[in-house]
Amino acid sequence: MSDEEHHFESSDAGASKTYPQQAGNIRKGGYIVIKGRPCKVVEVSTSKTGKHGHAKCHFVAIDIFTSKKLEDIVPSSHNCDVPHVNRVDYQLIDISEDGFYVSLLTDNGSTKDDLKLPTDEALLTQLKSGFEEGKDIVVSVMSAMGEEQMCALKEVSPK
Amino acid sequence: MFNGIAGGGAEDLAQLQSTMRAIELACSYIQINTNPAAAEATILSLHQSPQPYKACRFILENSQVAAARFQAAAAVKEAAIREWSFLSTEDKGGLISFCLGYVMQHANSADAYVFSKVSSVAAQLMKRGWLEFTPAEKEVFFYQINQAILGSRGLDVQFIGIHFLESLVSEFSPSTSSAMSLPREFHENCRKSLEQNYLKTFYSWTQDAALSVTNKIVESNSDVPEVKVCNAALRLMYQILNWEFRYSKGGTKGSINVFSDGIRSDTSSLRKTECVIVQPGAAWCDVLLSSSHVGWLINLYSSLRQKFALEGYWLDCPVAVSARKLIVQLCSLAGEVFPSNNAQMQEQHLLLLLSGVLPWIDPPDVISKGIEEGRSGSEMIDGCRALLSIATVTNPVDFDRLLRSIRPFGTLTLLSLLMGEVVKVLLANSNDEETWSYEARDILLDTWTTLLASMDGSGGNAWLPPEGMHAAASLFSLIAESELKLASASATTDEDDADCLASVSAMDERLGSYALIARAAVDATVPFLTKLFSDRVARLHQGRGTVDPTETLEEVYSLLLIIGHVLADEGEGETALVPDALQSHFVDVVEAGNHPVVLLSSSIVKFAEQCLDANMRSSIFSPRLMEAVIWFLARWSFTYLMLPEDRNLGSNQLQSLPSRACLFTFFNEHNEGKFVLDIIVRISLTSLMSYPGEKDLQELTCHQLLHALVRRRNICFHLLSLDSWRNLANAFANDKSLFLLNGVSQRSLAQTLVLSAYGMRSSDASNQYVKDLMAHMTSSLVDLANNSDLKNLAQQPDIIMLVSCVLERLRGAASATEPRTQRAIYEMGLSVMNPVIRLLEVYKHESAVIYLLLKFVVDWVDGQISYLEAHETTGVVNFCMSLLQTYSSHNIGKISLSLSSTLLNEAKTEKYKDLRALLQLLSHLCSKDMVDFSSDSIETQSTNISQVVFFGLHIITPLITLELLKYPKLCFDYFSLISHMLEVYPETLAQLNSDAFNHVLTTVDFGLHQQDVDIVTMCLRALKALASYHYKETKDGNTGLGSHAAGHTDTNGVFHEGILSRFLRTLLQFLLFEDYSTDLVSTAADALFPLILCEPNLYQGLGNELIEKQGNPNFKTRLANALQVLTTSNQLSSSLDRVNYQRFRKNLNNFLIEVRGFLKTK
Repeated sequence: MSDEEHHFESSDAGASKTYPQQAGNIRKGGYIVIKGRPCKVVEVSTSKTGKHGHAKCHFVAIDIFTSKKLEDIVPSSHNCDVPHVNRVDYQLIDISEDGFYVSLLTDNGSTKDDLKLPTDEALLTQLKSGFEEGKDIVVSVMSAMGEEQMCALKEVSPK
Repeated sequence: MFNGIAGGGAEDLAQLQSTMRAIELACSYIQINTNPAAAEATILSLHQSPQPYKACRFILENSQVAAARFQAAAAVKEAAIREWSFLSTEDKGGLISFCLGYVMQHANSADAYVFSKVSSVAAQLMKRGWLEFTPAEKEVFFYQINQAILGSRGLDVQFIGIHFLESLVSEFSPSTSSAMSLPREFHENCRKSLEQNYLKTFYSWTQDAALSVTNKIVESNSDVPEVKVCNAALRLMYQILNWEFRYSKGGTKGSINVFSDGIRSDTSSLRKTECVIVQPGAAWCDVLLSSSHVGWLINLYSSLRQKFALEGYWLDCPVAVSARKLIVQLCSLAGEVFPSNNAQMQEQHLLLLLSGVLPWIDPPDVISKGIEEGRSGSEMIDGCRALLSIATVTNPVDFDRLLRSIRPFGTLTLLSLLMGEVVKVLLANSNDEETWSYEARDILLDTWTTLLASMDGSGGNAWLPPEGMHAAASLFSLIAESELKLASASATTDEDDADCLASVSAMDERLGSYALIARAAVDATVPFLTKLFSDRVARLHQGRGTVDPTETLEEVYSLLLIIGHVLADEGEGETALVPDALQSHFVDVVEAGNHPVVLLSSSIVKFAEQCLDANMRSSIFSPRLMEAVIWFLARWSFTYLMLPEDRNLGSNQLQSLPSRACLFTFFNEHNEGKFVLDIIVRISLTSLMSYPGEKDLQELTCHQLLHALVRRRNICFHLLSLDSWRNLANAFANDKSLFLLNGVSQRSLAQTLVLSAYGMRSSDASNQYVKDLMAHMTSSLVDLANNSDLKNLAQQPDIIMLVSCVLERLRGAASATEPRTQRAIYEMGLSVMNPVIRLLEVYKHESAVIYLLLKFVVDWVDGQISYLEAHETTGVVNFCMSLLQTYSSHNIGKISLSLSSTLLNEAKTEKYKDLRALLQLLSHLCSKDMVDFSSDSIETQSTNISQVVFFGLHIITPLITLELLKYPKLCFDYFSLISHMLEVYPETLAQLNSDAFNHVLTTVDFGLHQQDVDIVTMCLRALKALASYHYKETKDGNTGLGSHAAGHTDTNGVFHEGILSRFLRTLLQFLLFEDYSTDLVSTAADALFPLILCEPNLYQGLGNELIEKQGNPNFKTRLANALQVLTTSNQLSSSLDRVNYQRFRKNLNNFLIEVRGFLKTK
């Protein structure tokens, strides 16, 4: 932080999809862009280029949308792109007739109907049965670099 | 029953044959892997059937399938150990003599593994009955064995006899014995009896056996069958000498001191090679020393040596290896076996051995050449081992003198020559690992370490003899040169795992030993190192910009490590003293500037200072070299920088030495100390700011160097007066580039800076210092949390990074809490309480941040809780509870939808770490009741900590699934907290509602069934606490656990048992029928006793039920008696005091030995 106060500026939605960050600072559990994909880092190791050279970081990461494994090696003083990963919670209000899409309630009262259901059978059943029993279900949606996906769900007991 | 087999009828025979066939079939199925589960079940049923001896004997005697005989032997053992307590005396003896007879009769047939098994079964059964057999009964067996060993029944039987003793000795030796589910006491008694009454006899029998075959071997020109017996005898002698002798020491050392059972245990930590000191006691003198045993062995080996060219013999043939092993072992003979009135005896003994070993290692160059040309290196390595053994039992002066009577030089010179030769060979083939020279070097280094470490701690008065010193000096220069050559050769190789910290610690041990050699001859070696260093530095400067410096850089790197080890010891939390050798030598130095140690240190500091210059940095100071520089400065400054005046170091004679005074005052605060400190701080700042992304370097700087500095109080005072330190603090608070350090370093740096506040003159000033330091961090968190657009803002990567950094720093500061700065750190935490809860909300999906948040709170509470006043405690406790609740509400019932199994696993691990942090938080809160420095009087209305913690547990236990308890650390933390809570606050538990109460106890039940002994112990302790609380309360007319203990009838009219009844059942089931370590029995007894007292009726009922279940009337009576004895013998009464607990433990132990055998039989 410089002496002048830090100003927290909110970027306009989608204005900046990634941020630069020093490779040495990206740790396990953080995010990174590898080959244009937003990933979550699952392993970082460092090594040197030659005995008296500089350190470099070796990242193993998982694409947060496709679950594919990706790897990258970057000198640790260089910058990497870090994706802006946004998560929003919505209340589940409906599951479409065809069983592919869900309908979600946004904060400002409108609905969001363009999100697909998870493909995993067990989860799907749980979601559907929970919904049919009339439980309140909150769905977390993760978005980064122009893509979005459901990432978690949670039953909330009505207050 | 066992002997009565001959009288069996025809049906019997048919039955036996069918059993045999079933087992044979099962064995062959297992071998060809067909339906292994069914085959195993068949074999298992034989093992577990009651009294399977007849069938086993039949199989052993008649089966043609070796595996079936093996299984039969195993079944005999298992059944007999289980049923031992109700076998008749004749049966016990019969089983043993059958096994012994069996191996001797079949001595010459193949399938050695069956005989090993049968003989080990005999050994185990003999041990099982060892304490009940009369001497006469044992005599019968041993007569038979002695006859066998004497050779009257042929070589094969002789071999079997020796082999049986080998099994017996290993069965009695604690490290190799089988547990047989008997208490330690039993094993200890057996071991004592064998050691005192039999071991020496065994040894002399073996000696006789070996002697009886020696001539045949010596005279033969080819491999004769006697060699097998001789080898077995040598092996057994070796094994017997390996015994950990305890009881044969003289009356003076009557009590056993487990911590120093050998000579000079202090050196063992540095050594890699194992070297057992053999101390059998005075009684062994005749067998080992006066019977010319050693002479015989040496002659035997030298005649074997001459046969190596013949067929059947070679350098590594088994008998030669065994002979050498025994020779090496006899070298480490020590203690009272040498009579105190004959001082020469040990020297003669060692001389004899040394002269026998000498041809293996002398002359070194010829030997090593021979090995390089293809000879086996094992004899030479054994020679080195012999030197190590001798070094272990002598002092350097005696060691050196040994060789003088037969050679013109001393043993130290030989050692130096030998090692020099090894180092040369090692350098020549540095590429291939695992050669003989590696092993030889390690052993010889250990030899030096052993010799020199004993001198190092003796106050610096003991010096090597001059010739030895010379030998050490020339060896060290050879070593140093070869290390440098290795370094420059490896400079360009690109090692992938070149993690500096790891490689430094791997080299550490070796360099530590080199340093001891160097310190044995400091007069030569310190100036030598100075010269090496200045040479290399000059070379760097000359070639700057024109020549590739990599090789020289690597040499400087190695030199810094070597010099660091020579000049200073690793402190490891203790204050590292200036090594004695460096204090006591250089007596003619009067001026500090000329002291060789000062010269060497100054030249390195001067070199290091050059990294402050940007040009020098880019051309010379590579990250790796900087790591060595920082490492050296950390180690050096801890020993030499600003030593307090009043530190009385070393022995008194040393105090007056002027050279020592020079060394001690030169780097103190009145002389060069301040300048050097300033340089060190500036170098640290450079390494943090100018080497972006060099994680290892930064961690080294923060952890080793800076942290070590602020741990020294007197240095803190000087640090705070330095501009360079102010610059560092300023950069920490304001400079963006320090935000780029990695998390661990951030934390460590914050901790270091806060700790340095101790250097302020007053407590107020210290608090102000911390406040100024941390103000930016706290205000940035507060600002962020108050930002109206927090939700969107928070998820930006740069903000996440900022928040992570700040949290790491706050955590670092929190962990540096000391009484002087406690106020400032309390206020720091107080000011971010609300932001923390806000951030916990917005980052609920960002587990990395959540973990940092929790860890900060954990450390902060840990540091603060004991100082807080009542009202502050309430605030902190409320904060913690809302933290727990918020965390819980976000995570309960949450399901991750990720498709990646890696990510799902990661998520689980993250959750485990979070929960562990929360448990730690609760444990810290608990400590308020134990340690409390607040000024409140006891009467002040304060928070009831136990209620709070139970409430906290109530919040988080739903999150701790049984799945998560599979993480061992979480499991451990959880159960230690639970058992602590139940032991200290049983009354609070009693007040819990029944859901919470049941949840806690379900997990205790789960814990009881864990494999981990610690976990089970904690659960048992919890049960003990619970039951004894209830018993004592109800006895005093109170309700105790009330309805929880009484049981209830639910709405369906089904009766649910009370909690104590349930656990009484579980515990009895556990003790009687499950497998567990015998170590648990005492703890289980402590829990069972109060449970029985609480529920006497149920206990009665369960006992009767058990008795009823027994089909065998004999067992019925035994069980009834045992149950009776359990609760009545030893004057057990119904009060819960120490004496009664002890009595009950004893009773339970006996009870289990008595009944577990037949209860477990199916």
